[in-house]
This record gives sequence, C-alpha cells and structure tokens, in this order.
Amino acid sequence: MAGSKDVLSDPRTALARRELSSLSREKTIVLALLIQLFVASFSSFLVVGLTSLYDPGSVASDDIVVGVSGDQRDALEEAAARQDGIRVRTYRTRATALAAFQAGDRDDRVDAVVHASTFDGRIDAEVTAPQSSIRTTVVVQQVRTLLEAVERNERAVRESHLTREVVPLPQEVPASPYFGFTYTVLIPLLLFLPPFISGSVAVDSITEEIERDTLELLRVSPVSLVEIVDGKAAAMILLAPAQALLWIGLLAWNGIAVSNVLTLLVAVTAIAALVVSIGLGLGVQTAQRRQAQLLYSVLVIFVFGLAVFLPEHPTTTVAKLAVDSASVLSYAHVGGYVVLAVVGYALLRSVVGRVDAENL
Amino acid sequence: MGAGRWLRTRSRNVLRIGRWEITKNAGGVDKRTILVAAVAMVGLAAMAPVAANQGVALDSGLYRVGVEPSSPYYGAVAADPTFVVQAPSPEAVEKGRQEVLIQGGTVADYARTQKGRAALAELRSTVQRYNDARMVDEPNQSAAFPVLVDLRYVDRDVSQIVVPNGESGSDETGSDSGTDLSVGTETDGASAGDGTSTASGDGGGSSGGDDGGSTAEGTAGTATDGDDDGSTGTDSGEDGSTGADGDDATTTATDTDGDQSGGLLGSVGDRFTASLSGGGVSGTPSDIQPPFPFRSLVLAFVFVLPLNFIIQAYGSTMLSERIKRRGELLLVAPVSRGDIIVGKTLPYFAAAIGIAAVIALGLDGGAVSVLAVAPLAMLFLSATFLGAMFARSFKELTFVTVTVTVSLTTYAFVPAIFTDVTPIALISPLTIVVRDLQGQAIGLGELAFSTLPPTATALVLFGLGAGLYREEDMFTQRPIPLKVLDALAGRIKRKRSVAFVTAILLPFVLVTELVAIAGLFALQALSLRLTIVLTLVAVAVIEEVAKSLHVYAGYVHAKFDRSLRTALTVGALSGVGFFLVEKLSLIVRLADLMSLDIGRAAFNESALSGPVVLSFLLAPLALHVVTASISAVGARRSRESYFLALLVAIAVHVAYNLTVVMVLGWQ
Repeated sequence: MAGSKDVLSDPRTALARRELSSLSREKTIVLALLIQLFVASFSSFLVVGLTSLYDPGSVASDDIVVGVSGDQRDALEEAAARQDGIRVRTYRTRATALAAFQAGDRDDRVDAVVHASTFDGRIDAEVTAPQSSIRTTVVVQQVRTLLEAVERNERAVRESHLTREVVPLPQEVPASPYFGFTYTVLIPLLLFLPPFISGSVAVDSITEEIERDTLELLRVSPVSLVEIVDGKAAAMILLAPAQALLWIGLLAWNGIAVSNVLTLLVAVTAIAALVVSIGLGLGVQTAQRRQAQLLYSVLVIFVFGLAVFLPEHPTTTVAKLAVDSASVLSYAHVGGYVVLAVVGYALLRSVVGRVDAENL
Repeated sequence: MGAGRWLRTRSRNVLRIGRWEITKNAGGVDKRTILVAAVAMVGLAAMAPVAANQGVALDSGLYRVGVEPSSPYYGAVAADPTFVVQAPSPEAVEKGRQEVLIQGGTVADYARTQKGRAALAELRSTVQRYNDARMVDEPNQSAAFPVLVDLRYVDRDVSQIVVPNGESGSDETGSDSGTDLSVGTETDGASAGDGTSTASGDGGGSSGGDDGGSTAEGTAGTATDGDDDGSTGTDSGEDGSTGADGDDATTTATDTDGDQSGGLLGSVGDRFTASLSGGGVSGTPSDIQPPFPFRSLVLAFVFVLPLNFIIQAYGSTMLSERIKRRGELLLVAPVSRGDIIVGKTLPYFAAAIGIAAVIALGLDGGAVSVLAVAPLAMLFLSATFLGAMFARSFKELTFVTVTVTVSLTTYAFVPAIFTDVTPIALISPLTIVVRDLQGQAIGLGELAFSTLPPTATALVLFGLGAGLYREEDMFTQRPIPLKVLDALAGRIKRKRSVAFVTAILLPFVLVTELVAIAGLFALQALSLRLTIVLTLVAVAVIEEVAKSLHVYAGYVHAKFDRSLRTALTVGALSGVGFFLVEKLSLIVRLADLMSLDIGRAAFNESALSGPVVLSFLLAPLALHVVTASISAVGARRSRESYFLALLVAIAVHVAYNLTVVMVLGWQ
C-alpha cells in the first residue's frame, strides 16, 4: 500500500515504535527476557544437575568402591580394571562385604556390594546399593556399566553358542554429555519462546486498546484498522528474531556454536508472524482479552501439536539447522513456514479489513 | 452468638460474591469461545496417542554416519533415527559433512569436533542397545544374557532393607514381597528365587521361608551376623518401633515409608512402585536404572498444568476490576474487603481442587494428592492476585502471570525430581503427589512439612495484596517496585508492626530458602564446601532482605521519623520478630533436613537452640537484631544508603554463619 512512501513517516512505523516504547517503559521486555533466561537456565540446570548426578567424573574425584564377593568376583575385578572411576575390594563372603558396606567408614568406605555367583550356567549378581543418598545414582550407574562390561565379556566367551554376531562397541571418547540436549532442547526452546511471547503480547496489545476504548482515539487519526494491526504486528514480529539473535549470541559467547543463523532467524520470524497473526486475529474477533488469551494459548498449543504430523518436527528442524546437519527437508520446512506465515498474515489482513471498527 | 452471626454474614457475602463471579464469568466467556477451545482440546487429546505412538524423536537426524549396508554396524545405525545413514566418505568427514565413518567392521574415523565425539558416544550406546535387542531372540538365552542382576537398596543408617518391598511389620507380607521378586526374576528368564537366598553364604536363607529369604538374609547379615531366619520377624518388629518412636528424627522419614508401603499396599503395589521408580530391579544389567521417578513425575505435572490456565482467568478478572474501575462498585457495597477477595477467589480455588480431584481419580492417586495440590493452587492464586494488584496493564499482567507460572512450577517440580534421593524433596508438595502415585505412604509430619510453608506463604501474599485492595491503590498506576513497597508499607501502622511484618514474612523466607537449597543441592556433587558457602550466602541475602525491605518501605512512606534512635528501635524490633518466629519454625526438623549437611548449614541457628546453652540461643538473637539495625539505619536516609547498609548486613550475617559452621565443623 505504502510502497514508495518514506518508511519513517508511515503511520504504521509510528505505531510500531509506540508499541515497542510502551513495552520498554513498562520494563516488560526485561521481564520477558528474564523469563526466557530463567526457563533456559532451569532446563539446563535440570540436565546439568541430573547428568552430574549420573556422571561419576563430575563427583569429587574419589572412586566408587564396590565390595565384591562370590565365586564370580574375578569377572567383576577384570571388568573393573578397565573402567574409570570404580574400584573393587574383594571379600570372602557376602556377609563380610555387607558388614563393610554397613560400617560406612570414611577410609574404608564401600559404596555398594555385588555378590556374583554361578547359577544355572549364568552369573547371578546381587547388587546392594545405598538407599537415599546423593551418591546412589552414581553408584548404580557405575555398577550398571561394570555389569554391562561383564556381560559383554561373557557373551564373547560364549560366542559359539550364539547364532547372531555381537557388534563390537565403538571406542570410548570424551564427549560432552550435554551436547545433544543443547541442540535438541535448549536452542529450540530459546528460539521458540520469543515468538510465543510476542503472540501473547499482541493479543494483550489489541484487546487492551479495545477494552480501554483507546482504539477509538486512534481511529480519529487518519489510520485504518488494518494499518493499526500492521503496526502492532510489525513490532511484535520483529521483536522475536531480535531476541533469538540475542540468545544465539549468548550461546556463541559460551562456546556453543550455532550454524545457519540466517536461516534460523528466517524460521523464527516466520513462526512469529504466524503466531502473531493468530493472536491479533483472535483479539480483533473476540475484542475481549480473557477470551482471546484463552483461545490463543489453546490454539497455539493445538497448532504446535499438529506439527507432530510434519515429516520433520519444527524443533528437529531447528536442531538440525543449528548443529549443521540440515538436510534438504529442513530447508523445505523453513520455506514452508515462510509460505504459511505469508498466507496467515494475508488472511489476518482480510479478516481485519472486513471488521467494522465502529462495533469494537 | 456474636461470632456466629459474624460468621454467617461473612459466608453469605462470600458465597454471593462467588456466585456472582461464576455467573458473570460464564456469561463473560461466550459459547463460541468455549466451543473452539473445547474442539481444540479434544483435537489435542486425539492427537496425543498418535504422537505417543510415533514418538517425537527430537534428535532425529542429528548425526550423519557413513556406513555400508554390508557392515555389521549398519543395522544398529539404520534402526536409530538419531543417525542419518550415508555412503562412507573420508572426504565428507574432513569437510564436516559426516561425523562418523565406518569402514567394514570398524569405526575408521570420526570428526575431531564436539559434535563428532558426541556422535561417537551416541553410537556406542546405540550399539549397546542394538546388541541387547538382538540377543532377546537368541535360542540360547543363558549365552545371550550371561549376567543376571538383582538390585536392592539398603538403608545404611537403619540397617534395614527398605526398598521397594521393604519388609513390613508382619512376617507374612515380608515373605510375600520376597516371592514376588523372585517371580519377577523368573519371568525375566532367570530362576534366581531360591538360589539367591542360599547363595548368600551367611546361612540365613536356609531356615524356612526360602522365598522371603532374599529379603530376610540381608537384614540378618547386617544387623546380627549369622542370625537365621527367625530373626526377621523380630528385626522388622524393631524397625517398626523405631518408626513409631519418632525420637530419632534422622531415621523416621525413610523408615516409615518403607514399612508402611509394604504393609498397606502389599507386594503388587510394591512391584508397580519398583517399575515406576526404578528401585529394586531384577533383570539384565541394562535393565537396572538409577532411582528416578520419571513416570510419576510426568504424571504429577498433569496436576500443575491446569493451574496455569486457572490463574490466567483469575488474573484477568482481578485486573479488570481495576482497569475499568468496576471494583469501585464492589468496594462501596456493604461487604468487607476480605469478603470480596475470598468470594472472588473461591470459585477459582474450587475449580482447581475439582480438577485435581478428577485427575487424582483418573491417575489412581489418593486424597493425599488432592490435599497436596491445594497449597500449590493457593500459591498460584495468591501470587497471581498480588501480580494483578501490581500490574499496570494486561501486557504487564501477562508477564507477571508467566513469571508466576515459571517460578512456581520450578518450585514444585525441581525438588520433586529428587523424591527418591533425599528428604529435601519434601519441600515441594508435588513430592507428596509423586510419592502418592508411586504407592508410598505419607506420614502426617511429611505432609505438614511440605504443605504448611506454601500455605502460609500463600496467605502472606494474599494479605499483602489485600493491603492494596483499596480505592487509592487499586486505581493508581505505579511501577511494580513502588507497588511492592506500597504493599509492605500498608501493613505498617506503628513501630511495633515492623516486628509483626517480619514475622509474617517468615514463611516466605522459609520457602525461598528451601528453594535455594534445592537449587544448590545438585551442586553438592561438585563441591560440598562451595555449596555450603553458597547456601550460607543465599540464606543471608534472603533473610536480610526480609528483615529490612518493609522497614525501608516504612521510611519511604514516612511512617517513622528519621532519627537514629527510631532506626535502631525499628531494626531491633524487626530482628526480634524474626528471631521469635524462626524458633517456631523448627518444623524443619520434621522432615529430617538436619541429617543433610547442607540443610544443617542453612538452619544452623535452629539446630543449635535445642540442646545447647543459653549463649547459643542468644547469639542468633543478637545477630538478627544487629543486622536488622544496620540496614534500618541505612534505610532512613536514601535508597542508595539502604542498599549499602543491606550489603553490610548481609556480609555480617554471612560472616556469622561461616563462623558457626566452622566452629561446629564442616560435617
């Protein structure tokens, strides 16, 4: 409509600026960023905290000591010799091992007891682990790894009795246990939160004008309802990629490289446009905040739920783009979101154009 | 007589306003909205099974592996959606287009990047799973799964086996659960049952009760070496009495749940519990899982989810009272402020409880679950109420609501993760829900410990919000920090009320401190000392702010004159108020927090007061008075000097705490 006109003098630009300045005046944008940071650190805390519970390496250097007894204890000793973070101490009987376990001495500590005996041609391992202790998780995890190694060794010994080949395990390498989480959960979370918040703010922004009758004042000025919606939408849509860029920068600063930044921003903008269109459409249609917000949250969850049926889930697309494993399918999805956003926004404009502003 | 009439009027008013709120709201949300929302919800519900069936593999296609179809690895790689199968190409690995290269039967190369290493580690666990899955079909099962594991958890303090089928008061149940375990083992392809008990080597399992033996012999072996089976009965009897005794605070918590779960629910429930929580498992090594009540946790989340929707509607109705000055009409009506607030809140609270009850029925939860969700609902509502009193616009309210949702969900959720690990988990009522869903019994003390602080906090928040539910505050627009000060100052009438406000803020302090402890808890694995120091700092910050913020608010609102003497009096009052109520809050002990180093560090003052001499009792009193006075002196001048003084007070508090911890020793 206003193709050749100066962008800055366009009333829609003025409206968008007004939106943004009201957000910054109420400091809500700060709150929004804080919330996102909180959600991100919360989920990271969960994973880092839980992983450190499972990860023996992160627990203050001392090894897990396992008391072993029974006629198969040699098998355990052999496997433990090749595993980091675990030591075995041999006991003649199970009772003495358990007594040492119960004594719980600082110097002579036994974290768990494994009584391994031959039974019916197999190794029967009775594991006794401490109840409710912060170390329990690590202990059980380590014992599990140990017994898995014993299992592999035993399988190798009995290979002739097996009809299928056992695939050898690839070598162990020091890998970050958070790598997958960072790209498949954290980054999609940080990139999807801004669009959803933008949509929610858009709902408030339009319904508030209607409920407080300030829309009437705006209508006195020579701007159409479509232009008002345009201005509000522009502010909210642009806010999302700006926040996304901020998160990507922060991640990069923390040593988490994010690839395909431009494509990711396009995807975020498209999703924001789609979500904001839904929000503004609901706002204009219902003209009431409570209804619009309720419908917005339900519908956005619904739309996000529908995404399960896509060949590639949006979070997977984002993860693959960020980690630089994007396939043609990923790019096709981003293209699809752009098309969807354009269609959605056009639909919003036509709906708003048909609304009689006098009745709001 | 007078009280009865008062009560009748109150309840009549409250009910009338509640009814009005319901009818107005039912009319407020039109049928079209409800219809669309319902259709979307039904659609979501219909999608859920499909989604669950397909499984959203978040990490699908994350790593690219070059592997020939002839390679033994091909099956494993192809079966895991995390990997994309490509033709092996050393060049692609070099250029970062392939993470792992498999040539023939070996891993020939992998990208020397974080991603490449992560891919290889992932491949390792994939291959492990793939092998296990293939072995299931082997005809010779003892060669396929040569190791059988039987995992049990034993409580070291009590020298009693608590897990999952912790022996109960009666001998019979004990042996029942034993039987069950061995049956479980047999179906897994083993026949451990009797063998386990005889193999124990202490001779315990041999006398009768072969089945129960596996449980019994552990007890015998540990408590009294070489005892035979007859002792099991006595043993568990003793344990039972320890539980009932309650004099030994450190053992009670774990004791009771083990005992009662065996007794009340019998073995079936226990085995269910075992499979849920990953406790006490039998099977192959891969079958054992460290304790993590994942399923119950997810189910417990279902209880929290509806609260988020309820507070949205609640916040909306509260804010619209203010924005359109509708509340003015109510305020001039012959009803009290309390009636209005209770009446307007009641429908939403009832809805929350109703939904929780329906969910509890659906998930086989008990009344305890509903009882535990009630304080959570109160907390959500009260925080939203206060937020709606603060917010200037719907936009601001949205953010306030999201903040409430996020932080309270964290408070409910994070501790519950540690349900099976530590009693500290009990600070969240959700832990009670998780335990209830796992079929564990919950003691009255535990219930009180996890529900009373949030309830009290909710009441405090309601009280602060109610202070703003007046014409002069409701219809003015001020930034949130100033509104917070308004809310606090509204409670201060004279100097004495400072002590009162400090006292009523204490539940808030307690909950915040517990959350801080829970947050720092995971760090404990890294460094206990650092965690304790951090905890002490967090505690000092929280307590000093709670002791001084309302004093500052009082000065801002010119409730006190600015003389030094007044500042010292007010500070001392605040300190004394804090001290007195803190002593009442010894409830902390109920849940056995003192057995944790970190808990002791945080609450050392309370821990001291019990057995020790007068000086130890006076020291914390002196501390609170001194620090509160420091910040009060700063508060009388300006905001800057208040912050400065607050910092000094916090420093003094930390120094004091550190000294106490040092004197007592780190452990």
